[in-house]
Amino acid sequence: MKKTAVDAVIRGLKRAGVSVVCYLPDSLFKELYPALDADPDIRTIRVTNEGEGAAICGGVFLSGKRAALVMENSGLRASVEPLARMGLGAGIPVIMLMSYRGELGENNWWAIPHGITMEPVLNALRIPYDVVREEKRIEQAIVNAYEWSYSAYYHSAVALGGEVVR
Amino acid sequence: MKRYDCMKALAARLKDELVILSLGASVDEWYNAAPHMREASLFQQQLGCVTPEAFGLAAGLPNRRIVSLDTDGGMMFNLGILATLGNEQPKNLFVVVWDNECYQSIGGPPTHTASGRVDIAAIARGAGVDNAFTAHTLEEFDAHCAAGLAADVPYIVVAKVAGTVEPDIRRKHSDGREDKYIFVRHVEETEGVVIMGPSEHN
Repeated sequence: MKKTAVDAVIRGLKRAGVSVVCYLPDSLFKELYPALDADPDIRTIRVTNEGEGAAICGGVFLSGKRAALVMENSGLRASVEPLARMGLGAGIPVIMLMSYRGELGENNWWAIPHGITMEPVLNALRIPYDVVREEKRIEQAIVNAYEWSYSAYYHSAVALGGEVVR
Repeated sequence: MKRYDCMKALAARLKDELVILSLGASVDEWYNAAPHMREASLFQQQLGCVTPEAFGLAAGLPNRRIVSLDTDGGMMFNLGILATLGNEQPKNLFVVVWDNECYQSIGGPPTHTASGRVDIAAIARGAGVDNAFTAHTLEEFDAHCAAGLAADVPYIVVAKVAGTVEPDIRRKHSDGREDKYIFVRHVEETEGVVIMGPSEHN
């Protein structure tokens, strides 16, 4: 990611009031993670799998602070169980920012499943999402996701693809 | 050792804490053993989510003591949280693992701890949670509650309890959604924060 795109993500998170980020690092967001770690206004928590991160974000919601789950889109599959239970069973929202691995243009065979499954899994869970491929839309897309999730008390997602992450 | 007796001992020590609770028969037992903590307890039905949610709550409210009431099945479902606790070292999180060596709520088939080879407290210590212990008697359990509720490092007690359920106790009627509202309003009132506020327009 370019530094300007990293900055746009962090601006969006801050405008949305986020102070805790749970992440499992990936390659497309490689430049984002150290920037989050270095930001004095954001506490980062590294997790062992994205489902654990989703559950931690749910706990942060209950505290009144705002959290984000940052990950590769493969992490969505690892998060389905806690997302289904927290979201559909209790109305505890998790807002996700994921890199769009496996979209058209992907040149890694192992990433193809991520592209094929991401949108169907989001749709199966009825999670609204925004695929952002232009840097100028990143900040507002993140703010919009928080506005919606804190009205619906349900999950939402922003997937960054295209030139934003390549 | 009966889980219900342990719960009553723990409940007697609780006042201002917040509790996240695992699924199964322990829900109704806690509802009866700690009636003064009902609004301060989030009754959740999520295998593998309980201690991560409790840790998230502890991270968001660093000045509040958070108690996770997890289970052997729930902890085995997501052992990774132990490594995260080992690295993050929350100062305000006390974790109880009710280890009855079975999936009680579906009739009692054994969990991995039933073999006698799997030791959750030892796994936790290996993951960096130095204060992780196993309690076999009510006295041991109560002493760990006293220590764990006062600790400034993560503290885990694995309570080896019988696979029985306290008979003839009142059932909780609310679902996960109602439980969340009750809990959130309690956190808002006691912390002076807004979590689920008004819409822009009515």
